[in-house]
Amino acid sequence: MPKSLNSLWFLLQWKIDDKPVKIDKWDGSAVKNSLDDSAKKVLLEKYKYVENFRLIDGRLMICTISCFFAMVALVWDYLHPFPESKPVLAFCVVSYFVMMGILTIYTSYKEKSIFLVAHRKDPAGMDPDDVWQLSSSLKRFDDKYTLKLTFISGKTKQQREAEFTKSIAKFFDNNGTLVMEAYEPEVSRLHDSLATERKIK
Amino acid sequence: DVLPGSLRRLYYQVLNFGMIVSSALMIWKGLMVVTGSESPIVVVLSGSMEPAFHRGDLLFLTNRIEDPIRVGEIVVFRIEGREIPIVHRVLKIHEKQNGDIKFLTKGDNNAVDDRGLYKRGQHWLEKKDVVGRICALYWNSDYLNE
Repeated sequence: MPKSLNSLWFLLQWKIDDKPVKIDKWDGSAVKNSLDDSAKKVLLEKYKYVENFRLIDGRLMICTISCFFAMVALVWDYLHPFPESKPVLAFCVVSYFVMMGILTIYTSYKEKSIFLVAHRKDPAGMDPDDVWQLSSSLKRFDDKYTLKLTFISGKTKQQREAEFTKSIAKFFDNNGTLVMEAYEPEVSRLHDSLATERKIK
Repeated sequence: DVLPGSLRRLYYQVLNFGMIVSSALMIWKGLMVVTGSESPIVVVLSGSMEPAFHRGDLLFLTNRIEDPIRVGEIVVFRIEGREIPIVHRVLKIHEKQNGDIKFLTKGDNNAVDDRGLYKRGQHWLEKKDVVGRICALYWNSDYLNE
């Protein structure tokens, strides 16, 4: 049963607004995406945080530059047929693979498995925003889903994190529909465990 | 933030697709640069070089300037104005002092030389028509037991 008025209201909204999400329960990536999206919804709609796109924008920028090099190579080679275009082609190909390397480093070290960065604006407007980060992992052919919530205080810059690992069977019914009533409390519990520590300080 | 969330997601998906296409394109262009050939991988389309090559064989080419074209060697060439590369053997060569050559080709399995295939009025091929020489090949498994 939902534990607070907030949860109740969120679940009602979710039932009204969203069509029940039905996915193939055997498809690992669909399951993970569904759980990730729903966790995002909890943070953004229930707790009303604002999504920050800086991390995704970084990746979009790297990919855009890579595709730009590919486009240049394609067009140049079309306008100046092969042997003359060799130096330009060589430059574009090398640049493209360098960008691939940068993308790999970015994805591995900066992005990690974070799929949401959200801000909580300080109501007084004085202190910098608190940052919440969500990351998750679901191993191939495994049923254990790990959701990790990281809280970075705007004031003290301290970082705290909490996570849970549960079987996906706890959140999906037999047809592959996500049961929000079972999932939302877990996410809220993670959130509250990090939020309350802050109040004590 | 400049873009709304849904537009950003759409762009992300378009980019993902673009990256896949770009990777294939860059690998192909990279091969072109490394081998020096404008068509680094060629598929044998006819049986004109049997029993050496069969339909469906994959040929990996290089186009180094240093490789001399000599009678009896196999070259892959393109006839001016046509897309499809042809893999045949060199039959005759006329060579000038400065290295310019004109050569005639013929498929091993053909009865006549390739003059019938060349452009109207063209009787010889030149170095600029060469796409490359064979560096490695992959036999089509359909014909391996013959």
